[in-house]
Amino acid sequence: MKKTLIASLLLGMFAVPAMAADAIKIAITGPFSGGSAPMGTSMRDGAKLAVAEINAAGGINVAGKKKMIEIIERDDEGKNERGALIGQELASMSDLSGVIGSVNTGVVVAGDKHLQEKGITKIITPAAGSASMNQWSKAGVKDLSIFRFAADDAIQSAMVVEDAISHKFTKAAILYDSTNYGVSGHDDLVDQIKKQGNKLAVVASEKFNIGDKDMTAQLLSAKAGGAQVILIWGIGPEMAAVSNGMAKLGMKMPLIGGWTLSMSNYIDNAGKNGNGTLMPQTFIEEATTPHVKSFIEGYHKAYNVTRIPSPVSAAQGYDAIYIFAAAVKQAGSDDTHKIKLALEDLREPVKGVISTWKHPFSKWDPANELTHEAFRRADVVMGKIQDGHVVFAEQADRQRLIKSDSK
Amino acid sequence: MNSIIIVQMAVSGALMGLVYALIAYGFQLTYATSKSINFGQGELVMLSAFFSLTLLDAGLPYWLMVPGGLLFGAMMGLVVERACVRLSLEQKSEGWILLTIIFGLLSFSAAENIWGRDDRPFPSPISADAFNVFGISITPLELSVAIGVFAVMGLIELFKHKTLLGKAFEAVSADRDAAELMGISATRTIMLSFGLSGMVAAMAGILISPITTVGPTMASALILKAFSVAVVAGLDSGFGVVLIGIALGALESLTSFYLGSGWREAPGLILLIMALALRPNGVFGKANIRKV
Repeated sequence: MKKTLIASLLLGMFAVPAMAADAIKIAITGPFSGGSAPMGTSMRDGAKLAVAEINAAGGINVAGKKKMIEIIERDDEGKNERGALIGQELASMSDLSGVIGSVNTGVVVAGDKHLQEKGITKIITPAAGSASMNQWSKAGVKDLSIFRFAADDAIQSAMVVEDAISHKFTKAAILYDSTNYGVSGHDDLVDQIKKQGNKLAVVASEKFNIGDKDMTAQLLSAKAGGAQVILIWGIGPEMAAVSNGMAKLGMKMPLIGGWTLSMSNYIDNAGKNGNGTLMPQTFIEEATTPHVKSFIEGYHKAYNVTRIPSPVSAAQGYDAIYIFAAAVKQAGSDDTHKIKLALEDLREPVKGVISTWKHPFSKWDPANELTHEAFRRADVVMGKIQDGHVVFAEQADRQRLIKSDSK
Repeated sequence: MNSIIIVQMAVSGALMGLVYALIAYGFQLTYATSKSINFGQGELVMLSAFFSLTLLDAGLPYWLMVPGGLLFGAMMGLVVERACVRLSLEQKSEGWILLTIIFGLLSFSAAENIWGRDDRPFPSPISADAFNVFGISITPLELSVAIGVFAVMGLIELFKHKTLLGKAFEAVSADRDAAELMGISATRTIMLSFGLSGMVAAMAGILISPITTVGPTMASALILKAFSVAVVAGLDSGFGVVLIGIALGALESLTSFYLGSGWREAPGLILLIMALALRPNGVFGKANIRKV
């Protein structure tokens, strides 16, 4: 027993460097702790599930040679300064094939410039803030190595405003947190209200800070303005405080907001006060198709949970790895620049759990951010919270997804 | 409509202010006897809340968890006294400032490693469903905070005035040297004050956790406000902290409503500056006259 243990340890020692030389190194970064952790850890675990599947099948075929994927994890804690440090560290690695991750828009803005400088390919997921991509279009960058695999806030805010208008509401209050994500989300919402014909009057625009628990003042100013609906942009714990405050003050209007409303720390802390909350989702944890079913069951089993903390993040992390792997295969190389070129022109469709991705990205054009954005309006559905789970808000969406998969 | 909103805001703010007052009271207790302040008081609140949550998770009923949590808080208070304060006081040094801060940082890291960095809900048998009083919504949970704050402070004040040990406490607070000459052990009294202060911190943790959730950073925002309250009211003002706490809480809510939510933190700071400029001993503080 002891001998085999020592033998296997020794074997391990020799095996690791041998494997490392032959492996494709991908860094996964995100907040694995703090208020955004449900998104960060779900994204990471979804991505690792995909990596485990790919490695179990022998790895990726790179120019005739099978190569394993090796993961480097970095916890940015959702802090901008950590994001910058990690960006610098990753940019200095010479054998890195790419980076996947980031949840917080501020972290993306602080860290990605170091990667772009060195031309390291990164797929941002699930950070949705507009600033993550328009920092590059505004600067007129000609050649961009940063891609996004998330329903950006422009799509989401359009859906949120659409939904409010379709319910015939005319007065809305906007609540948002004071981070980059919240402030840019607020601007997107105001923008969308204008674009969709000014049918909603914004009767209150109220900010809250990370860590705030008492939202009475913000909510009462919404109530005083006669808001019929509350639009919100923030992360889980504070939005739960908003829902609980609404229940306390007897405010029964619907709460509609960004996809972060599906975070487990919103659902758990808001409890029954969260029921009926609406948000755009790229993935709903419901076994609509066999492929989705096997992903959900695989996740539950691998991480010993009965509910994915943030299903959207997990599914996006999972699909992002498959898209990245397809690019590595097409490039026939682990060189990050060649992978970037392949990503801009993926020839074979990639079957993921969210959708089957056909040519998700194209050559970067600073005048059109959509060239490096994978998601379109049709890839996103409205989700609704019901008794601690996110379900389809519209049955039509559910049917549409099942149909498109069987095609 | 409008006047109801103002009252609602003031009431909600005042209830939050009572929590500041309770934590501020913890500062007062140790300051009274030892003229030192535990700058890790916020971490004591957080540690006790986590410990109480662990007791609940272990299956202990709520009403048994409360004394358990309080005992833990008192013990942590004694640890702070022994590890950070006693030696510095003996050497008449100000080392306790740094030591209590270090204790806070250590506790923070320990909590992160033991319980993780996520905010967790804290179950409570007290309902969070609001009821209406003249159009103002109050939840039983908020009411329990108010009752808890007054109960703890009332009991401790009663103890100070009615028991022999309490009188020793008052004697050391009034004049340490004279009390020692009368045969009262100052060291023991200071230990007692730190134990009580830890207990108050634990009570604050148990009371606010169902509202704020439990996480390593749960008290970091509260503690600054509590410190302002303690200084503005005066570090030996007793029930003065309650008035200042309520006023600050209500003011915060109203500022946030009228000036915008970005201005929420302003009144606390302005109050602090004004108090230090006009009444350095606090609004309810006694002037520091010492006969030689």
